[in-house]
Amino acid sequence: MDELIQRTRIRVKETAASWEEAIRKAGNILVEAGSIKQEYVERMIAVVKEYGPYIVISPKLALAHASPGEFVLRNDISLITLSSPVHFGSKNDPVSIILCMGCTDQNSHLNRLSKIAELFLRDTLINDLIEANTVEEITTILKG
Amino acid sequence: MSVKKIQAVCGFGCGSSLFLKMKIQDILKEHKLEAEVFCGDIGTCTSVECDAIFTSTELADRIINRTTIPVIAVSNFMNKAEITEKLLSFFK
Repeated sequence: MDELIQRTRIRVKETAASWEEAIRKAGNILVEAGSIKQEYVERMIAVVKEYGPYIVISPKLALAHASPGEFVLRNDISLITLSSPVHFGSKNDPVSIILCMGCTDQNSHLNRLSKIAELFLRDTLINDLIEANTVEEITTILKG
Repeated sequence: MSVKKIQAVCGFGCGSSLFLKMKIQDILKEHKLEAEVFCGDIGTCTSVECDAIFTSTELADRIINRTTIPVIAVSNFMNKAEITEKLLSFFK
């Protein structure tokens, strides 16, 4: 896999009225791709309700996921940007980017996720992604 | 002195904790400090041997009463200044 996040797993300037809807939009990309089951999407929402909005790991960015294995058919990641941000009740609100991750176990996705983490640790990346208007622009930004 | 063990904790030990672990490792390297950094999950983190737990502010509240080791809450997993300050004060 050459692209860290496949272009078919990216949506730009989506609309969502709530954080739950934002997670569903990002999650449904992976459901449609056959990578996760619908139950996983609801689990991602349940995790936030149980543990709080810790998935908002940085200003503007949420990394949605649930427990590995269950309801995950293969490792996959989607990314959406929001035209209007949503609030999770986190200090890092408002959120404009949702990364949604499904992994089959605790380890097999780590190589790919660590490469994605490296990208996101770049200072300007998040704002560049939010400003992008097309999937093409996003993939260009992610290529660095 | 043995090498310190730092556990980066998130809900399942395989998502956001990886971001935190990588940031901690970068900072350690920059400051020429040595530590073993690994990921853990909220369910099992207090039964894993380590010298400190780094996690989000939300999860820290749930861990702090379950352990005697330092639990260090990080608001922004990508904020180098915040993590540097907290990491260096742990090493003092």
